[in-house]
Amino acid sequence: MTTRSIRARLLLGGGLAILLALVLAGAGLNWLFQRHIERREVQSLEAKALELLPALRLDAVGRPLADAQPTDGRFARPASGLYWQASTSAGLIRSSSLWDQQLPVPRAVAGTNWRLRRVDGPFGHRLFVIARAIRPDASGRVVVVQFATDDDASAATMHEFRREAALALLLLWLLLMGAAAVQIALGLAPLRRVQAQLQALRRNSGARLSTDHPREVAPLVDAINALADARAADLERARHRAADLAHSLKTPLAAMAAQSRRARAEGAPQAAAAMDSTIAMAGAALEAELARARGALARDAGVGPTELLPVAEAVIAVLERTERGGRLVFTVEVPAALSLPVATAELTELLGALLENAARHARRAVRIRAGEADDTLVLQIDDDGPGMAEPDMARALQRGRRLDEAGPGHGLGLAIVTDLVEASGGALTLAQADQGGLRVLIRWSHRHDAGYRPRQ
Amino acid sequence: MRVLLVEDEPAVGADLAAALGDAGFVVEWVRDGAEAAFLGDTEDYAAAVLDLGLPGLDGLSVLRGWREGGRSFPVLVLTARADWTEKVIGIEAGADDYLAKPFAMGELIARLRGLMRRVAGHLSATVTIGRLRLDTTRMCAFVDDRSVRLSALEYRFLEVLAHQPGRPVAVHAIAEQIYGTADSGDTNAIEALVTRLRRKIGSELVETRRGLGYLLPDGSA
Repeated sequence: MTTRSIRARLLLGGGLAILLALVLAGAGLNWLFQRHIERREVQSLEAKALELLPALRLDAVGRPLADAQPTDGRFARPASGLYWQASTSAGLIRSSSLWDQQLPVPRAVAGTNWRLRRVDGPFGHRLFVIARAIRPDASGRVVVVQFATDDDASAATMHEFRREAALALLLLWLLLMGAAAVQIALGLAPLRRVQAQLQALRRNSGARLSTDHPREVAPLVDAINALADARAADLERARHRAADLAHSLKTPLAAMAAQSRRARAEGAPQAAAAMDSTIAMAGAALEAELARARGALARDAGVGPTELLPVAEAVIAVLERTERGGRLVFTVEVPAALSLPVATAELTELLGALLENAARHARRAVRIRAGEADDTLVLQIDDDGPGMAEPDMARALQRGRRLDEAGPGHGLGLAIVTDLVEASGGALTLAQADQGGLRVLIRWSHRHDAGYRPRQ
Repeated sequence: MRVLLVEDEPAVGADLAAALGDAGFVVEWVRDGAEAAFLGDTEDYAAAVLDLGLPGLDGLSVLRGWREGGRSFPVLVLTARADWTEKVIGIEAGADDYLAKPFAMGELIARLRGLMRRVAGHLSATVTIGRLRLDTTRMCAFVDDRSVRLSALEYRFLEVLAHQPGRPVAVHAIAEQIYGTADSGDTNAIEALVTRLRRKIGSELVETRRGLGYLLPDGSA
């Protein structure tokens, strides 16, 4: 079987097996019913024959004679469908219903038991015939007695029976197929549940499949959970490696900066300047690589959901400690239960980069709003700074650029942000804020369905 | 001005020590977390520069140890990781500012001076107005002895009102004092500031007098 669907496979197999069983059952029923009808015919004909047999005798030349004839009126009516005939090699007598026709005489009628057969009889009918030999006198000469009845009626009965039986068996087949479909659906239900939970796992790498699955599915579920654990551990290791790499490279860079300061102090300002620019380049390249690694990790880690409000407050608490952030008002208009489809570490990174950027340009205030409308989650960050011209907005979204290339800061600004947003299936746009500053809008559409909702 | 420098990398540490010395600080340089924890607990420093990646006891644990022990000197955290998760953890552990490596020496000195300026100049450590208590050295507020972390702006707003408890201060006067200058757009900013502040310390602790401004109820009323 080449089909890839277990359901189709089971249905096809079950359907064929049931069909085979029903065909065999139909054949058996047909055979039994036919035998039953034949037996009744034989009994009926035998009863009529008993009226003739005692009355049979032979004349001198060996022709059969009958002293009395069977009483059934149909023997007297020509072509009535009920016939008899007694024959010897010398001659024959027959019922009037045969008229001028005769029944073919079987070549060898051995015993005295009735033997039955079907023959094409007179008047274009198919006949059901019983025949036996009797010896009416002591001479030992044999008379072949045959009684026949029209087979058409029983053939019609058989035909009707077959049709009705076939119909009944077909209905039975449909019923059994329905039952098989229900059973297959019940049998596959645990797999569907596994599939639904896998969807949840794909959205949220922290989720695991539940452990209350049937015994047959449990090993699969355990294997998937083990795989997810291993993957989470790998990701965690990768995250740590990225952090370790940062530490192990940045500390030597800081040491080099110390050397450069010493060089400048000892009267080699050109060498010091060259070193400084090299250090800056190495640092920028390192940051870019780390940002890319973080974006890739975010893509692998799956998506949140993470409650927005506590993360936003934590990031703002950091910014409020800084010189610039301390002079700003951060307005947070975020529903307490709202979650975004981003893992906690990535959401922290995302908000950090966006809010730091907003704080860098804001004059007095930065406003964070988030909500859900028309099946879309929207995060909006406004500042009241100088804002940005349309062409600059388009340029700012290009890969590797910062919103403010000249400003201080170690992040890659929007490059990190767009990486993280894309990894979580969102879309980022820039617009003008109500107060004239820059507005960053991030939208997550509900195509990710309910996965970002906080679990109860 | 004694500054505790905690940095395990010799070249960076030597450079930092020299630069801080040039800037006029008295530097004590330790390379080990356990020693830093001990010194911070027992000596009085004007500030500390703390590297988070330390052998022995890591920087975050050192910092938490100081804060749990009630040490309130400002701490500037140095970190090789530039990610926000670590910044958040660092601030929550009690850091006052952070700087990612590699950093410009001039910026470090400026930030450190900024931190020390915030602390200096306040002779009286606390001001109490009703249920509200302001800690002028750590720039934080206590409401019924519950600690609330404030931004510099929020703290200055409260400080302005605290000079005249029970009496309203006009919005433009507040804007002038906390921003240095004031223009018509600042009214919205102050309003947003009050909204945020009320969420942190409780709405009844900052009252609005329509047309007059804001006031801190002095508790006697």
